[in-house]
Amino acid sequence: MKKIIIFILFLVLLTGCQENKYLEKNFFYMDTYINVKLYNVKNAERAFDKIDEIYKEYHELADRYHNYEDLKNVYYIKNNNDTTETIKLDSRLCNMIELGMEYNQKTNGKFNINMADILDVWASYRENKNGVPTINELKEAKNKIKPIIFKEKCEILNNHPSIDLGAIAKGYATEKVGEYLKSEKIDKFIINAGGNVLVGNHYNNAKYKIGLETPNQEKSIYKVLRLENKSVVTSGGYERFYTYNGENYHHIIDYETFYPANYFKSVTVIADDSGIADALSTSLFLLPIEEGKKLIKNTDVQVVWYINDNQIVATEGISKYE
Amino acid sequence: MDLRKITRISIMLSLAIVLSIVESMIPIFAGSIPGLKIGLANVAIMVVLYVYGFKEAIFVSISRIFIVSILRTGLFNITFFFSLSGAIFSLVFMFLFKKIKVFSIIGVSIIGSIFHTIGQIIVALIFVQNLNILYYLPIILVFSIFTGLLTGYISKQIIMNFDKNIDRNTKM
Amino acid sequence: MNKSDKILVSILLTILIPILILLNFSSSSNLAIVYYENNEILKIDLKKAEQEYEVNGYNGIVKIKAGNGKIKVVEETSKNHICSKQGYIDKPYETIICLPNKIVIKIASDSEYDATL
Repeated sequence: MKKIIIFILFLVLLTGCQENKYLEKNFFYMDTYINVKLYNVKNAERAFDKIDEIYKEYHELADRYHNYEDLKNVYYIKNNNDTTETIKLDSRLCNMIELGMEYNQKTNGKFNINMADILDVWASYRENKNGVPTINELKEAKNKIKPIIFKEKCEILNNHPSIDLGAIAKGYATEKVGEYLKSEKIDKFIINAGGNVLVGNHYNNAKYKIGLETPNQEKSIYKVLRLENKSVVTSGGYERFYTYNGENYHHIIDYETFYPANYFKSVTVIADDSGIADALSTSLFLLPIEEGKKLIKNTDVQVVWYINDNQIVATEGISKYE
Repeated sequence: MDLRKITRISIMLSLAIVLSIVESMIPIFAGSIPGLKIGLANVAIMVVLYVYGFKEAIFVSISRIFIVSILRTGLFNITFFFSLSGAIFSLVFMFLFKKIKVFSIIGVSIIGSIFHTIGQIIVALIFVQNLNILYYLPIILVFSIFTGLLTGYISKQIIMNFDKNIDRNTKM
Repeated sequence: MNKSDKILVSILLTILIPILILLNFSSSSNLAIVYYENNEILKIDLKKAEQEYEVNGYNGIVKIKAGNGKIKVVEETSKNHICSKQGYIDKPYETIICLPNKIVIKIASDSEYDATL
């Protein structure tokens, strides 16, 4: 009996005490409900304040409709009255725009952050639900758009380009929040920013269990991913859409055709960086599957393409997360 | 202690550990009810209980939980206490019902399976304080009857084929 | 299996199966929680018969219909009406998010998933 007790005590000493209590907080920025859970932290108030600040900063930078004092955001770039020839970009905004330009090239122009006016045409039809924009209307909107032209590193021509960072800002800000948390040694966390999930270390030496929902009314879980220190992002047209004459029109627009892309119901991307995952999920949503596969070749990115209820295609490497 | 006994108990412990881990990889009814398991590790525990006795069985059972927890889910968290309480409840009641000699090994296994669930639910009620769990109790108990039947039957087959030279301390 | 084993199984099943039927078992949970920003503002017992509730959202009143194990938003003030178009939810991991109104509805139960998307 004595030996048994010693044996058990030995096992006890092998590991420390573990708990998995979490504190959570919700934020509302960038048209998104953001939920942050921090595990095993005693006082999370300071961290939550800082997270709020980071999301707020990126929200303001990417805000197309409001001006903020002393902030050269997307609204300012489009609507400023400055007479200077160029605008020096805020470094955070500059990084996001560069990321957007990178994926514009990688998708041969289909993914475009420089098409806010086209999105506005679609948004007005979505709100009124009274039809579908004609190709001429969309082309007219396109012709008004001024291109983003870099003069120097992080310095663009002040020609009032219209920029929409909807496909980047959420993921990019989430990545920054993740970086902040790790710098504060808060490494056990899960952030869910409306289809943008970032997880740190697991609270229990296991993996976070992430359920992928079917992109339809049913919302059953069709795939379960087990992740740690990864970002997973889903892009799809199943939440923000309107129906006209029996057709669904969603919000992810292909810059080549000016119409919503219809290859898939949703595309899910697993990558290390949440900003890249965000840009990639939209890019892959716009590309046929073979071109998409080429785009992620030789990377550690894994993808699930939900084509329809009977056809789900995933990269081979997904198996390591199942 | 007799060397053969030590070896056999160790083998049973390893078997229990492997069965637990293998079983955790098989999702049953994934998505419907949390925590449903066949309880294959109980086969090893029952073999030890019937061939050797309560003391040896509790040693195997508790060591298994510690080792599996270290390997998989971590010590002293809720999952750990779930398993621990389930295992102790199950074994104590199996021991008692084996003593009264009314039921065969299959009946005892069903009792063990049911009290395993009850032990876990008690911890859940203390720690999680979520009465929603009680909602699942009846379905889990029905499920326990069938898993108990299955593991009892497997244990019976194993014990019948166990080395006849071994001094059994009880008849089935 | 001997005779007493069989009696044990039959007794257990005769006790449990009627309980199961009485509970009308389904995977749906029985409590919905409504949040405004980070504050819990309403708890609804979903086991009750369906009825309407009203809460104050950022843009005005949000009408909710809940009961018989499910919950949905019927009416709210917003541009796209995403959350009132969503329809019923009944699974522990599902949520309704009325973003412009800062209202979140969750089904209270320990979901087996850390996140769904």
